[in-house]
Amino acid sequence: MDKLSNKEKFVQLIQDNRGIIFKICHSYCRNTSDHEDLAQEIIYQLWRSWHNYKTTCKFSTWMYRVALNTAISFYRKEKKETPVTQLTEQLINIKEPEIPPEKEQHILLLQQFISELKELDKALILLYLEEKSHKEIAEIIGITETNVATKIGRIKMFLKQRFSQITM
Amino acid sequence: MEETNFVLLWKEHYQKIDQSLAINQRLLKETISKKAESSLQSLIRFKARGIVIAIIYLILLGTVLFFAISHYLPAANYFIGSMGIIFLINIKALYDYIKHLVWANNINYDGSITEIQQKLSKLQLSIFKHSRIMVLQFPFWTTFFLSNKWFPHSVSWGYIIFQFLMTASFTWLAYWLYKNHTLANAHKKWVKILIGGSGGNAVMRAMDFYREIEEFKFGG
Repeated sequence: MDKLSNKEKFVQLIQDNRGIIFKICHSYCRNTSDHEDLAQEIIYQLWRSWHNYKTTCKFSTWMYRVALNTAISFYRKEKKETPVTQLTEQLINIKEPEIPPEKEQHILLLQQFISELKELDKALILLYLEEKSHKEIAEIIGITETNVATKIGRIKMFLKQRFSQITM
Repeated sequence: MEETNFVLLWKEHYQKIDQSLAINQRLLKETISKKAESSLQSLIRFKARGIVIAIIYLILLGTVLFFAISHYLPAANYFIGSMGIIFLINIKALYDYIKHLVWANNINYDGSITEIQQKLSKLQLSIFKHSRIMVLQFPFWTTFFLSNKWFPHSVSWGYIIFQFLMTASFTWLAYWLYKNHTLANAHKKWVKILIGGSGGNAVMRAMDFYREIEEFKFGG
């Protein structure tokens, strides 16, 4: 595979999986102004690790690993790096879809409760909500499947409690 | 809310968003080609500078030491002993610098989250730990200039007491700093000053996170 086609292939895969980057940026950055910086950092780290990617592993599994590792490290960093491009343009553009008010409230609450979780729990629940199997989650996070099941159970309990506190 | 609803809610919401997401191809390509440095690479750069400085310093120390040993005189015993220890301590510091470089180079974000985050935390903790050994050279900077030729027989009692107090106080200071320059004290102001800037806070966070990952991995 020559360098150009390799780059084109990478760009295409990023394009196809842009939702993963968006969701991770949205979940890990409290401040919306950091979304762009994190998105750039994730893409850079993906490109940096791209030569290691083996087709034996699902692209999305590999992408989640790199993106979540980048997000957790970014979140923990005290000083944020200056982004490459400080333009008014956005790397990922979104046209806000119309959401029924009740659903919008629920999704906002869910996002808020997820933001209250610790970084690793946040990664777990994101993967769970993305309907990844316990096996795949275990592979991405680096813990056993049993541990995944136990932890997801606890996080779901926490989310249920938080929702019930609000609706009571 | 039922657990199935969480998944459904998430799915519905992001399905709509997914359809409306557009990636800026030009910025994407720019990001890939222009963002030449990550935070770890800047650490590598910082460490590489440190290595060059440490090597120059060690060459100077080594040259002086080599000269003293190759032209050995019993009068130079204090000098050889002191410089030898200072040299060894600095060799250890250089080894730590290189170890950080190797670690930083080996970190690739495509490993499992717990593995990569522990590696990153370990890197920060090691930076903190390595700075501790440097304080052990302090007392030897108070003895390297002594010579069997004139010390202690040709100096006054006053000087002997002064020399003793000076070496003893530097030894005590080195011991105290070494003993207290621990992860438990990483939040203290003097430790932060010693390791530079806000490094102390970063170390504290790295330590807490390392423990958190351990619990996460092995806790039920």
